[in-house]
Amino acid sequence: MAQAAPSLARPAPAIFKQNTKLQYNRDVRPILSENCFACHGFDKNQRKADLRLDVREDALAAKAFVPGQPDASELLKRIFSDKAEELMPPADSHKSLTAEQKQILKRWIAEGAEYEPHWAFIAPMKAPVPKVKNAKLARNIIDSFILARLEKSGLQFAAETSKEVLLRRVTFDLTGLPPTPLEVDAFLADKAPNAYDKVVDRLLASPRYGEHMALYWLDAVRYADTHGLHFDNERHIWPYRDWVVKAFNDNKSFDQFTIEQLAGDLLPNATRDQKVATGYNRCVPTSNEGGSIAEELLYRYSVDRTETTASVFLGLTAGCAACHDHKFDPVSQKDFYQLYAFFNSGTDPALDGNQPRTPPILKLSTPEQEAQLTAWDGQIGDTRAKIKEAVAKLDYQDPALQTPPPAEQKVETVWVEDAFPDSEAFFANGHPQTFIGKENGPVFSGERSLKRTDAGLSQDVFERLKTPFTVPANGTLFAYVYLDPKNLPRSVMLQWNTGSWSHRANWGDADAIPYGQKNTVEKIQMGELPKSGEWVRLEVPVEKLKLASGVKFQGMAFTQFGGTVYWDKAGVVYDANPASDPALSLTAWTNKLGAKDPGNTFPQDVRDIFKKKPEERNDSQKTRLREYYLSEIFSGARETITPLKNLAVDLEAKKKKLDGEIAATMIWADMPEPRKAFVMLRGQYDKPGEEVQPGTPAFLPALKKQTTDGRATRLDLARWMVEPQQPLTARVFVNRLWQQAFGTGFVQTSADFGAQGQAPSHPELLDWLAVDFREGGWDIKRLMKLIVSSAAYRQDSKLTPRLRDLDPENRLLARGPRLRLDAEAIRDNALFAGGLINLTMGGRGVRPYQPINVWEPLAYPGSDTDKYVPDKGSGLYRRSLYTFWKRTAPQPAIVAFDAPTREFFCTRRERSNTPMQALVLMNDVQHFEAARGLATRIIKEGGKSDDERLVFGFRTATARRPTAKELEILRGALAKQLARYKANPDAAKKALAVGESKAAEGIEPSEYAAWTMVANLILNLDETITKN
Amino acid sequence: MNPFDEYNAQQSRRQFLQGLGIGAGALALNQLLGQAATQNAGGAKNYGSVVHPALPDLPHFAPKAKRLIYLQMNGAPSQLDTFDWKPGLKAHFNKDLPESIRNGQRLSTMTSGQTRFPVAPTIFKFAQHGRAGTWVSDLLPNIAGVVDDISVVKTVYTEAINHDPATTFLMTGNELPGKASLGSWLSYGLGSVSQDLPAFVVLTPKWSARSSVQALFHRLWDAGYLPSKYSGVALRGAGDPVLYIKDPDGVDRATRRAMLDDLNKLNEESYARYSDPETQTRIAQYEMAFRMQASVPELVDFSKESKSTLEMYGPDVNTPGTFAASALLARRLIERGVRVVQLFHRGWDQHGNLPNEIKAQCGDVDQPCAALIKDLKQRGLLEDTLVVWGGEFGRTVYSQGTLTETTYGRDHHPRNFCMWMAGGGVKPGLTYGETDDFSYNVVKDPVHIRDLNATIMHCMGIDHERLSFKSQGLDQKLTGVVKAEPVKGILL
Repeated sequence: MAQAAPSLARPAPAIFKQNTKLQYNRDVRPILSENCFACHGFDKNQRKADLRLDVREDALAAKAFVPGQPDASELLKRIFSDKAEELMPPADSHKSLTAEQKQILKRWIAEGAEYEPHWAFIAPMKAPVPKVKNAKLARNIIDSFILARLEKSGLQFAAETSKEVLLRRVTFDLTGLPPTPLEVDAFLADKAPNAYDKVVDRLLASPRYGEHMALYWLDAVRYADTHGLHFDNERHIWPYRDWVVKAFNDNKSFDQFTIEQLAGDLLPNATRDQKVATGYNRCVPTSNEGGSIAEELLYRYSVDRTETTASVFLGLTAGCAACHDHKFDPVSQKDFYQLYAFFNSGTDPALDGNQPRTPPILKLSTPEQEAQLTAWDGQIGDTRAKIKEAVAKLDYQDPALQTPPPAEQKVETVWVEDAFPDSEAFFANGHPQTFIGKENGPVFSGERSLKRTDAGLSQDVFERLKTPFTVPANGTLFAYVYLDPKNLPRSVMLQWNTGSWSHRANWGDADAIPYGQKNTVEKIQMGELPKSGEWVRLEVPVEKLKLASGVKFQGMAFTQFGGTVYWDKAGVVYDANPASDPALSLTAWTNKLGAKDPGNTFPQDVRDIFKKKPEERNDSQKTRLREYYLSEIFSGARETITPLKNLAVDLEAKKKKLDGEIAATMIWADMPEPRKAFVMLRGQYDKPGEEVQPGTPAFLPALKKQTTDGRATRLDLARWMVEPQQPLTARVFVNRLWQQAFGTGFVQTSADFGAQGQAPSHPELLDWLAVDFREGGWDIKRLMKLIVSSAAYRQDSKLTPRLRDLDPENRLLARGPRLRLDAEAIRDNALFAGGLINLTMGGRGVRPYQPINVWEPLAYPGSDTDKYVPDKGSGLYRRSLYTFWKRTAPQPAIVAFDAPTREFFCTRRERSNTPMQALVLMNDVQHFEAARGLATRIIKEGGKSDDERLVFGFRTATARRPTAKELEILRGALAKQLARYKANPDAAKKALAVGESKAAEGIEPSEYAAWTMVANLILNLDETITKN
Repeated sequence: MNPFDEYNAQQSRRQFLQGLGIGAGALALNQLLGQAATQNAGGAKNYGSVVHPALPDLPHFAPKAKRLIYLQMNGAPSQLDTFDWKPGLKAHFNKDLPESIRNGQRLSTMTSGQTRFPVAPTIFKFAQHGRAGTWVSDLLPNIAGVVDDISVVKTVYTEAINHDPATTFLMTGNELPGKASLGSWLSYGLGSVSQDLPAFVVLTPKWSARSSVQALFHRLWDAGYLPSKYSGVALRGAGDPVLYIKDPDGVDRATRRAMLDDLNKLNEESYARYSDPETQTRIAQYEMAFRMQASVPELVDFSKESKSTLEMYGPDVNTPGTFAASALLARRLIERGVRVVQLFHRGWDQHGNLPNEIKAQCGDVDQPCAALIKDLKQRGLLEDTLVVWGGEFGRTVYSQGTLTETTYGRDHHPRNFCMWMAGGGVKPGLTYGETDDFSYNVVKDPVHIRDLNATIMHCMGIDHERLSFKSQGLDQKLTGVVKAEPVKGILL
């Protein structure tokens, strides 16, 4: 998770080096910070006895000590006291000073008790490059610093590692993948002095580089493909992930990289990419849990963003200051909420809606998609205009106002014409819904008919109508049908939905369509198949359906078994008294609805009018009701208006579908009026204190505001992050890149550069690199090249007994880094060695193999991530970066190798060594399938003899040739496995069938299986999963 | 090395490290590595145990409990229908909850819009049981039979009002993701004693009330900022009991053993090449994995359990993944040296249709829970095994949604709820704490969930104030920064 540091503190007692004066930051501050500052430090609310020891003036004023006079110093009296009530730190703090620490404090006071500002809060400067005795060992400036420090301890660099190991090391560090045997051969053969340079340049130019670098950035910003809390549904923000990959590949300068993520939307003429980059702030985990209190969630999201930004860019543990002033660093609670004020005015909602695209989002349509949408918009506009025109043309006389009232008459209401009416759901069983024009087949009326061809059961359906159909009890339902005489169906069926599907009429074979119980309203048999080759009007009297009065239809289905069937105009015909029928009389309709809200099937403005008493409705409102009535309700106009309306609906549905197919990503946008920000007392969302404005911590260089209204913007903050005088950002990022190469940063606590963090192992080098990074244009590839080109990086990694004793953690770098590969590199390596990897870049997260029942026992049923269905084909073999990341149940094979859950920022992964890892590598289907893949390659590409093949397999995984002894062991392994599988050919066949990809043809199974076990052995080697 | 040389070597190492400015952490690690090296010095083929030891200063005092079985009723069971008997509520049926009782309490937004808060008395019958006279409703007849062995705490409370933050708070001491879970703390502090099973195992059995379910999260048993090896390992009811435990098709045990022997030989070569202690550890971890592969099938095989034991847990015990099977598995796990077993039983979130749904849920757990207590007791394990039962918060006395004579629902209620504990270090046959007549407020002996966690740690021999881990510049603790105290009143 966040930071795994040893639980012991890191003071630096130099007590035995009597000749050098103690340094406050290195020797004293860690002791005071660990033991005293919690009660005598920066946090004014926790301060005891009104004494603070972190500021010299205050400590002196409180007479805590007298510089130069240990014997007159209260502080020393207290720490050396043997009286429980006097002793500091007190027993209940569970802190105690060692004898050495006490001596250091004593000596420090004797030496004058001088303070230094905390190193990380002063802008870095380039120190002079140190002189070293053994200058010929240094390849670049890095080495001068490293070597100088080694020489001080009587150490020096180890010899350069072998070319094979070096190539493998640098290939993994820059691309997360191994070199191929061919690449190894080429490097071995290249005797040019710049052979290594060329390799580094090749790797930095590879698209794999950006993928690998992105991984660590995505850990830091807690990128994932789900929302993270409660339902933990899918979210669409993968274009941000792809943006990060591209940024590294394009070598976007780190200052620009920073600015675009924090404030890309505020840049002048912000590009689409710059807006995608603001997804940075949308990576926060969100909830949609029922019962949540919106203010509380919004508060938490903002706190999380503040904490993450402070950690990722500044290396500050600012989260402490959400509740109280920081106890160890000069971050006040007010500082925290000023930073928070930059992030608390997003338009994103408190509840994510369990939807994948929680607004604000950015659509990433292609030009073709844009053109199509524009075209449809035009057609929709035209259709709407036509409807308006048709309504205007109507010479409508309200029958209720005629004298004498008109006689009873037959009225036909058309529901379906040219397209389906506006509904929540449309679907088809069989091929997709198809309306055809006259040029493509028979059309009864209007412009189009519905066509369907199928060998079996097939249908078109709409349900959950926006405006349900009124069913007159005396009416007759009808629909027109045309059967293709060359391809007759066995039966056709009409179905009407009353909230459930339980009313049907069937023509033809009563048993062909299995729906409903025969001879009930669920399946009324209406007769033989209608005559083919002509339009036939099918009719069903409403009374046959035995509906309760007032029931409305919510949908319809047009069903057939086999054949080719065309459907056209469908609706109901009934006897009506025009003066009292709401479908014919505006007055009857308005009277029926009365003066109350008619409900959400009506547009809001119509609802508002109905809420008024009729006598209070003004003329324009009455006109609006009339217009609405004629276009939506009046059945006399249906013949002309229904097809137009349905066409508009159809176009809208197409638009919606395409819209859903267009990639979209969650982005940041500010509210027009920012939310107010307050210091939240004790970190409680409902306890606002003092109001604050956006700002940066007071102890760091001041923010420059670009605006005139005096309110700082996120863009100001983003620029401030990469200001030359701002001491943290460059150091923090350089430190993390160093950590990528060497496993540990100069500052081991890479998320904490504050007083409780560990002092840097090479402060001058860290500062030199930070300044150089900035001065060199924040050029990440340049810095990576400098690091991997250093002699320090190129050393052999053998741990000698002396170094094991002196520097087991390799902080001084008297040897090269040897570290277990990270989770993704381990899997990608296996896929790569097995020849299975698919190097397609980008896109929505893929779902590789995962054991059954990883998501299911945890998920909220009904969540869209409650069931894991692995992909087929390429999705199984993509680089691990592209694996769909579900925060509450991440991939177990990845988590086993210390990947974080991405619920929280993570700037440093740990490296554990567990039995679970062994089980994954031996047994996980993807690793065993990769072993078979490697076996295939060994047999096909590895040469003829067993020895050649064993060497090929070993080299593919480790880049080097096996020693004679190793080869001997491998020969034995092969012989043993061959004997076993020869004796058990069934087992061989089973072993070869593991995984979705197919075993190669034409290889004898026992031999193939034996090689698969040898490959499994090779892929499990300590050296295979380690950067050596 | 003679003592004199050794002293000198140590001194020079110390001086070296001290000069480095990064001394103590490195020194500690060095000592660890030194120990590992000594362990391995006896012979490279004898791969030592990789079981992690307890922290050097732990336990802080003699523990009453060596193991923990935590039965988490996920979703929050109603205290009013199980253990907190409020006879006076009958007279208040469908009357509004007095404002003086509600007292401005914040409500979840699921009922904050209700215009009325009608009191819903339980429809279940309560009676006193055992020598202790503990009140238990007829939903839990079997638990009622073991009340003399358990201690019911009626006054547990929390701050969180929604499931995700509340369960995270209960299990990790914080409402926000990212902290270490209770089980991982215990595993980290007390170490592991099992040679072939993880120290902390999680079970997620099936449940009956499908519509009252809440999600679980990996973070509830994750190690957070602690090293990841302390994370809980989830044993599963379907699929392999332990992920990746099964050899691939076509690979039998002898084949795997042959491959492992060669792997060890080759890894020894790597060790000779790089002298990296991680390689030695890896060899040992592969051996541990191999042993796990052998022991897990035996673990989940109940065929050697006596008929009477199986009957005690009920008919579901023979169906893998049921609560009954999981409860028995919990006993088998702790018998094999697993330190913490946690069961997460879902389906307790009864916002509506509470009587029917809670009946089904109690049907899942009642008999197996009681069986577990009896089974542990018979085997002499109860005295040093702590059993904890409860949810993440309680439920409201007022009805959510429809209230009739036969049905009602209840919203989330963080201000008081019931849990019970049994075994190692806890007084048996006790009812602790008092709530008001509406089970809406604590009136005596409040127990914050921080106190609950401090109590669990206390039983396990840990002073919760003294078990900390440096992360983010802070000494992180399970119980956080607000004062917490073990509940003395329920401790032996």
